[in-house]
Amino acid sequence: MPENSEILTEKTRQKIEGLKEVDILVGIPSYNNARTIGHVVRAVEAGLSKYFSNYKAILVNSDGGSTDGTMDVVKKASVDHDSILVDQKVERFHKIAIPYMGIPGKGSAFRTVFEIATALNAKACAVVDSDLRSITPEWIELLIKPVLEEGYDYVAPYYHRHKYDGTITNTIVYPITRALYGKRIRQPIGGDFGFSGRLAAFYLTKDVWESDVARFGIDIWMTTTAVANAFKVCQAFLGAKIHDAKDPGADLSAMLYQVVNSVFDLMEEYAPAWKRDGESESVPTFGFVYAVGLEPIRVNVDRMIEKFKLGVQELSVLYESIVPGELLHLLRTVAKASKDSFALPDDAWVRIIYHFALACHRKTMSEEHILKSLTPLYLGKVASFVIETWESTAEEVEQRLEKLCIAYEREKPYLKKRWKQKA
Amino acid sequence: MNNELFTNVCNTILTGPLKDFFQRLIAFLPNLLSSIIIFIFGLFLGWIFKRIIIKIARLCNADRFCAKVGMTEAFGKVGIKDNPSRLLGRLFYWLVVIIFAIIALYVLKVPAIENLLERFLLYLPNIFIAVLLIIVGYLLGNFLERATLIAAVNAGIQLSGLLARGVKILIFVFAVAMALEQLGIGRNVVVVAFTILFSGIVFALALAFGLGGKDIAKKYLEKRVKGKKEKEDDIQHL
Repeated sequence: MPENSEILTEKTRQKIEGLKEVDILVGIPSYNNARTIGHVVRAVEAGLSKYFSNYKAILVNSDGGSTDGTMDVVKKASVDHDSILVDQKVERFHKIAIPYMGIPGKGSAFRTVFEIATALNAKACAVVDSDLRSITPEWIELLIKPVLEEGYDYVAPYYHRHKYDGTITNTIVYPITRALYGKRIRQPIGGDFGFSGRLAAFYLTKDVWESDVARFGIDIWMTTTAVANAFKVCQAFLGAKIHDAKDPGADLSAMLYQVVNSVFDLMEEYAPAWKRDGESESVPTFGFVYAVGLEPIRVNVDRMIEKFKLGVQELSVLYESIVPGELLHLLRTVAKASKDSFALPDDAWVRIIYHFALACHRKTMSEEHILKSLTPLYLGKVASFVIETWESTAEEVEQRLEKLCIAYEREKPYLKKRWKQKA
Repeated sequence: MNNELFTNVCNTILTGPLKDFFQRLIAFLPNLLSSIIIFIFGLFLGWIFKRIIIKIARLCNADRFCAKVGMTEAFGKVGIKDNPSRLLGRLFYWLVVIIFAIIALYVLKVPAIENLLERFLLYLPNIFIAVLLIIVGYLLGNFLERATLIAAVNAGIQLSGLLARGVKILIFVFAVAMALEQLGIGRNVVVVAFTILFSGIVFALALAFGLGGKDIAKKYLEKRVKGKKEKEDDIQHL
């Protein structure tokens, strides 16, 4: 038990003191999720009963000061074992709901989970989002078993999503993470992960808990830290990910800034790791992969192209100090094209992203300005991608994304060469 | 008799004043010498200060910080190509040189210069604050121009460039008005000019929005009245 722990209160310490040790820990970070967290807690308990009834397990709800009674819902939620055809319920199951300390954010909630996992010497851990609607007991099996029985340290989620869902992940985060660190983890910012107690303890040694990682960059940080430090990683197929509707007014540029900034910050920290040569390799995938029927979604391509054109016209003065002349010329040419012939080629897009990474690395201007000015170009790439794949099936879109990933890998030497050069 | 008269005249008109002049010159010479020595010492100390400040600024990564907040870019725009650490070093050099020049002038003990310096020294803080106001106004204007431009483009506003430039000009004009107010130059004129300018900008913007935005307003009203909606988007970016 870490007596000197800054973030575990005396009350929490007393709560976990009696447990001494656990085999499995499942963490659920939350903030005003009373509507959905009951289902998540029941799914976790059912999963533990169904697949890990011989183990000692604990569910930790790390809450950010909810005012809608989230923690009460967690305490009251229980599963009807008969209805899920489980004879033997997990004997040694404990549940605690505690408010986390530190700066507000998912990262601080995770830190509490890591602290408790380390204090209880947990062998395998998992964290799942509290707004999930599609979580089933099998998710717990898939996230925990690779750690407990196969010796993996990190289990990334692998979901089936609509072909136009997760466009930041698809066009930037997945391909760049794969190109840089060499592991094909399809959902590096998925939100639901499994990890070993050893990795939880390693995460705690990192001095990031007062930074943006504690606020919003924890997902990509966990994945990159595990991969860059050579922990044994795999992914688990969880089916479809359906969660509570997100705030429709959420600012895209702020979201893009947070995610891409986290990726670029990690590039600074792990420069020696990503500069190593070699092609990317796939990671073992657990679970039975099946096709998922997903509801069609509406896409306003005209609006995206309009914003791209406006961005190229008005922000050229900024782009001049970020991307080289020939790329800017290409952007201007693309901006003149009609919707039918609108296309932003992969190679150009990859170089744009690499030049934005270089601009942040050289600090040519405020990072927030650099990355928020990427929004129109990102919308241009998404529009180009949607136009190209409108008639394609999800499988064909996946193959198309593979081509984009290969472009990121092919252009990696271009980035490496310029990383050390001065502006 | 004539010789004696001539000698007296020479004494009164020529030798006396000359003697007096040389006596004063001899009395003044030590002051002049100290003044020159103090000034040269000031130049030397300024040079040392410059070197130290540049080293400290580089150790503190001042150049990176300035580039990050957009100061380097702003300096570049006004033709200052030196990096910020060198610029800071130079600033301190001139500060030390000016201080020692003032001390050197005081040492001369010339009443007219003393009087002039006293008035200058009393006015000096106003100049310093005015210069600072203009620099801060310029840098803030540049920074907010860029922030406004990016935010407006991301919001899809067609007149983003105009809006951003408007923000920059407004902030800079405001800073200049505050600086002139600090210097006490035409206080009333500045206030009146600023009021006219500000009203003019608001009027011009109203006109520009009125004329340029009539189609947008028409579309908006049509949408409102007829219930026409822009095509929705369900894309989850994350």
